[in-house]
Amino acid sequence: MSLQIDTLAYTNKLRRLAPAQKLLFAIALLLISNFSHPPVQILIAAWMSIWTIFYAGIPAKIYLKLVYIPILFWLTSLPALVINGVTINHLSFIQNDIVNGVNIGNYYLYISKHGIEQGWSIFTRAIAAISCFYFVMLTIPFTDLLKTFRRIGLPILITDLLLLMYRFIFVLLNTASELWVAQQSRSGYRTFNLSMKSLSLLIGQLLQRTLEKYHQVSLSLESRGFNGEFQVWHSSRYYISKRYAMEAIFGCLILMELEFKRYIF
Amino acid sequence: MTIQETLLEFQQVNYTYPGADKPALAGINLSIPTGKKCALIGKNGCGKTTLFLLANGLYKPRQGIISWRGKPLQYDRGFLMKLRQSIGLIFQNPEQQLVASTVEEDISYGLCNLGLPSDEIQQRVEQALIEFDLNELAERPVHHLSLGQKKRVSLADVMVLKPELLLLDEPTAYLDRPQTRNLIALLNKIHTSGTTILMATHDLDFVCSWADWVFVMDQGQLILEGKPEEVFVQRDLLDAIQLGVPLIYEILSSEAIEKNILEQFHQRLLNLFS
Repeated sequence: MSLQIDTLAYTNKLRRLAPAQKLLFAIALLLISNFSHPPVQILIAAWMSIWTIFYAGIPAKIYLKLVYIPILFWLTSLPALVINGVTINHLSFIQNDIVNGVNIGNYYLYISKHGIEQGWSIFTRAIAAISCFYFVMLTIPFTDLLKTFRRIGLPILITDLLLLMYRFIFVLLNTASELWVAQQSRSGYRTFNLSMKSLSLLIGQLLQRTLEKYHQVSLSLESRGFNGEFQVWHSSRYYISKRYAMEAIFGCLILMELEFKRYIF
Repeated sequence: MTIQETLLEFQQVNYTYPGADKPALAGINLSIPTGKKCALIGKNGCGKTTLFLLANGLYKPRQGIISWRGKPLQYDRGFLMKLRQSIGLIFQNPEQQLVASTVEEDISYGLCNLGLPSDEIQQRVEQALIEFDLNELAERPVHHLSLGQKKRVSLADVMVLKPELLLLDEPTAYLDRPQTRNLIALLNKIHTSGTTILMATHDLDFVCSWADWVFVMDQGQLILEGKPEEVFVQRDLLDAIQLGVPLIYEILSSEAIEKNILEQFHQRLLNLFS
C-alpha cells in the first residue's frame, strides 16, 4: 500500500504543480476545517476529494479505500460516544437527552442525543482533515515535501533523518517481503504455531539484516565522500498555476464566508 | 612484461577482519597499471572485496603500504576525500550505494559533498543523465527502479566525479544478458575517455574477451598476473585453485586439434569476441 501511495504521488496529474502551492492550499483548508462547523467541513471534504480524484487523477477506488480506514476507526469509537448509562435514580437529569433506551437492572442504558451530535461532528471534522492529508500524501512526492521543508528552514538534522527514514522504509519492506516469501515457500505459515515461530524468526532476522545493511550503507556513504551533512542538488521543474490558485483562494473565501454567516443552518 | 606507470600499488598488505582467525589479505603485492582494463578473478572469499575497500581507504591495512600514484595513503579527512574522488568504487549491490531518494539527487550527492558551485553541479548532473541514458528516470524515486537501472545509476553516481580509477565489484552479478551488454558498452566508453578500470568478476569468458590485464587472487594473495593470453595458458595452476580456464582455452587445449588450425581458431575466436 505505501508503495502504491508513493507511486501515485510521483505519477499524478498535479505532479508538476509547485509543491509549495499544494501544501499551502491543504494547510489553509486544514485550518478552516478546524474551527468550522459540520456543513462547512463536509464541503471541504467534498471539494478536496474533487481535487484529489479529478484534478490529480487519483483512482477513486484507491482513494475511497484510504478514506475507509479512518472511518473504520471512527465506527469503532462510535458506541462509546453514543451510548450512555445512568443509574435509575438519576434518570430525571437526562430526560431531554434520551433518544431510545432500555432498563438493565438498576441501570438505564440509552442512546444520547448529545452523543450523536458529538459523533457527527467528529466524523465531519475527521473526514475534512483526512481529505486534506490525503491530498498532500497523494499529490506531493515525499522528496518534494522535503525540499519544501528545507526551503522554509526546517533544521537539516530533521530533514536528513526524514530522508533516510523514507529511503529505508522501502529497503526494510523489501527485506521483510523477501524473508516472508522465503518462509512461505517452505510452508512456514502452515499452522498457527508455525506462523508464530516463523514470524519471530522473521523479526529477529530483520533486525540482524538491518544492522548488516546499516554497515554496508555507512561504508558506501563514506566512499562517496560523506562529510556529515546530507546535501543533494535537484532541478526544479514546477509551475505555479493561476487557475488552481484562483480556485483555491475563492473557494477558501467562500468557505469562510459560509462559516461566519452560518446561514446554511 | 614492460614497466608501466602504476596508479595504485599494494605492498605486502595484510588485513584481518576483527574476530576472524584467517587474514582476508595475506601480504598481497599488486599494482594497477595506468590506462588498462584490468580484471580481478578468484574464488568467493579470496579477498577481492576487501582489496577494494582498502583501495578506497575505507579500511586501514594492519600491515603494509598502499600507495596512490607513488604516495602512501594517509588516513586523514582531506587526503581521503581526494582519494575517493580519484578512485570510484562501485559496490556489488547497487541497493547499498544509492542513498538519496531520486535519481538526479543521488547523482548529485557526491558532487555536493565536494562543495562545488551549484551551476557546475547542475551541468555535470545533466550531462551524466544524458550519458547514462537516465533522463527519463531523473525524478523517479530510487526504489521504483529495476536492478539494471539501479546499476546504471550507481555507475553514473561514481563517474560524475570523473575518477581516474574505477573499481567495480562484480558488476554483472545481478544483470541479464542485454543489461550486461549495455554495461560493457558503457565501460568501454568510460575506458576510452581515459579511466583505468579494475573489475572483480567470476565470468572468465568475459574476462578473456574484455580485459587487457588479469590478476588472479587466491587466499588473500596475488598468485598470477599478466595479459589474458599469458594467464590462461597456465592451466595447471588455475585448475589447482579450482578456478579453471575460459571456454575458448578449454577447447584450444584439447589435443586433437593441430597446432596450425588451433592458432587460426584462437585468432578467429578472439576477433569474434573483441
